[in-house]
Amino acid sequence: MIQVSTLRKKAGGTEILKGISFEVAPRTVLGIIGASGSGKTTLLRCLNGLERINGGFIQCEDLRLEPQFTESDYRHRVKQLRRKVGTVFQHLHLFPHLTVLGNIIEAPVHVLRAPRAKAEQEAYQLLESVGLKQAARRYPESLSGGEQQRVAIARALAMHPTLLLFDEPTSALDPKRAAEMRLLLRGFVAGGQTMVIVSHSIGFLTGLADNLLYLEGGEVVEYGETQALLTSPRDPRTASFLQQAK
Amino acid sequence: MICVSPGKVGRAFIHFPFSIFHFSFLFFRLSFIAPGGLFFSCDLVDRFIIQQKRRSTKSHERNKTAGALFLFFRALLLHFQVEFAQLKWKLKMTNGKWKMFCLLAVLFYHKPASAQQVLRWGADPSGGAPYVYTDPVNPDRYIGYEKEMVDALAAAMGRKAEFVPSDWETLVSALQRGSFDVIVNGLEPTTDRARQIDFSNPYYIFQLQLTVRHDDDRIHSLADCHHRTVGTLSNTAASRILQQEGIPLRGYSDPVGAYKDLELKRIDAVVMDVPAEAFYARNNPKLKPAGEPFAPGPYVIGLRKGDAVLKAEINTGIEKIIADGTLEQILKKWNLWNNAQVELQAPIRAGQHAQVAPYEMTSASFNWREALSRLTRAAMVTVLIAFGSMIIAIALAIPLAIGQSRGPRWVRALCTTYIEFFRGTPVLVQLLFLYFGLPAIGLAMPGWLTALVGLGLNYAAYESQVYRAALEAIPRGQWEAAYSLGMNPVLAFRRIIMPQAFRIALPPMTNDFVSLFKDTSVAFAISVWELATAYRELANASGQFLLLGVTVSLFYLAMSLPMAHLARRLERSLQNRDVAPDAVAEGAVA
Repeated sequence: MIQVSTLRKKAGGTEILKGISFEVAPRTVLGIIGASGSGKTTLLRCLNGLERINGGFIQCEDLRLEPQFTESDYRHRVKQLRRKVGTVFQHLHLFPHLTVLGNIIEAPVHVLRAPRAKAEQEAYQLLESVGLKQAARRYPESLSGGEQQRVAIARALAMHPTLLLFDEPTSALDPKRAAEMRLLLRGFVAGGQTMVIVSHSIGFLTGLADNLLYLEGGEVVEYGETQALLTSPRDPRTASFLQQAK
Repeated sequence: MICVSPGKVGRAFIHFPFSIFHFSFLFFRLSFIAPGGLFFSCDLVDRFIIQQKRRSTKSHERNKTAGALFLFFRALLLHFQVEFAQLKWKLKMTNGKWKMFCLLAVLFYHKPASAQQVLRWGADPSGGAPYVYTDPVNPDRYIGYEKEMVDALAAAMGRKAEFVPSDWETLVSALQRGSFDVIVNGLEPTTDRARQIDFSNPYYIFQLQLTVRHDDDRIHSLADCHHRTVGTLSNTAASRILQQEGIPLRGYSDPVGAYKDLELKRIDAVVMDVPAEAFYARNNPKLKPAGEPFAPGPYVIGLRKGDAVLKAEINTGIEKIIADGTLEQILKKWNLWNNAQVELQAPIRAGQHAQVAPYEMTSASFNWREALSRLTRAAMVTVLIAFGSMIIAIALAIPLAIGQSRGPRWVRALCTTYIEFFRGTPVLVQLLFLYFGLPAIGLAMPGWLTALVGLGLNYAAYESQVYRAALEAIPRGQWEAAYSLGMNPVLAFRRIIMPQAFRIALPPMTNDFVSLFKDTSVAFAISVWELATAYRELANASGQFLLLGVTVSLFYLAMSLPMAHLARRLERSLQNRDVAPDAVAEGAVA
């Protein structure tokens, strides 16, 4: 599905990502954990092309992104990559001037050029699946944080992404809402959605992520199957992070 | 003051311009009161001289003699202070009594009767040749046959002429306000003016001359001008004749603009008084006179109503300069002497008194119905210009704003240059440049289009800053969210960023639009018949400044209030989106 190899990202002279490699198989969930400033969000921004990579490559299905491509070729490929990768930002970035429904159908109608009626029908289905059908005509600012997050998920899923990137889903949620969110995401995974979730809440990822990747200082410290990584970390740095996280 | 001023110094003062005379006495007053005023007053004189040097004054005498005055005043003051000290000693006054004496002297001080009364006369020197205009050789000086005539007239009256540069259109109201004593500016007696001011006896007989382009063989007289636009000075005998004949006219504030527009084919002909025509058009190879001079009429001097003493004085003065041949000399020098003048002057020279109003007065047709219809037409032009230029401004401001905030370096520099140029120079200058400057490169737009484009270009600079601020207020996350949904920059801008920025920009935009509405009034400078021009011309012709002013204000309000109201409603509808009306119903059902 998506393969990342020796990915490097520099910003202002410092290397933020120092050769990251991993692979996400279809219908699986990768959880990326790590302390603040470890490069989690930057990695996510590389995966949807918001940051230009400086080394290695990203392979998403048949699409390959390498830094040595010419500017126009790179841009063209980023555009294609964004069609395959959906993103739910930590701060959501819902469009405040559009209704919930408008937020969801905006890209299908104007990017995919889907007929409006069909897009709306699909949007209602998505809203139903996130439990917000009644809020279709409301504006985002009138919704609670949790509701807004579910709108953002629906907005990303409306583009039928092969991969969904999710930045810090629990940052604005209380434990009860976080549990509900995990349940919701599990539903989507069961429906065949592949995801990469960045989170510092290990509890949230347990039972949701198939694999975990522990990032520290822009390097992959440990990468493996969730249960194995949580119960018997091979690297002492992972162990100490897990210890602190508890 | 007179009681203490030694006579010889008083005489010395008379030779100085009044203002300086007055100032010097002011310093004396101060030096009386200020204890130890000896140095204080000298210090004041120094400061005054320095200020005068800094200020650029029109009066060239003052500039030229500033340096000499500096030394003179110091010496004079020292001299006076010594004399006052002697006086105090002679009167054997105590300090307290001396102060009281000085205070009384200041209170009872009044201007000594001027040895020579002034005759302040108003005229419009801009494009005012050969009447009165700025000497091209020496721009500090005014010249012209009327300047020379007034000088001679004032001398004949035992007065000193003082020229007050003014504006043709507002001469009558300026006279009534008391800005000067008389109007001498080729003024024709008309019935509507007669209601507002008094006239002297005539001093010159003018005729009108029709001028066309040199290659024009369609127009030979005014009769050929129906359905063509004829330019002339606003509010003159010529403009009244055109109005009476029902010929479409365009009013100008000076002959230069009218002849320029004729050359540029913006109008088809110009009617002007012969003196102005002789000076501005006769020698222009691109223009030619059409037909013979016609419609003779007198020039008179305008006086405030009821100023009978001055009127008698002026009439005697005119007779005097006619009788002694001074006026003839002046007119001959300016090439304005002809048979009509001989006819006018002959009886006076034969010892008779001048005939009163020997010529029929032209009158302006003013009635409220026509005024309202003309104002309505002007209002429509105003609306056209305002909307047109706002559209240009918006269309141009968006790329400017984007270029300035997100463009590459050179685009940014280009946009900034544009904005700073149009914001940093007066819109009036820009309009004049577009109207008179661009035809030099073969781009002659009609007046309304020039105003529309000019204001549009100008307001684009302001609007661009509103949009830039609005664009920069949209968080970067909105762009990123749009990109990550697969939108390209153009789509992201159009669908996501612009609608949000519009919400922010709407209140300042409304503001700018209302102010643009009012700024259309600068178009009068290029003779566009919009509301402000209409007001000036109608009010000047009728003297109905107050009523017409209220009417015009109502017109402006009738246009700008609905706009403001519409904008407020739009704003509210954009902001009242917490709960859309049908969402409540749907939510209740769910």
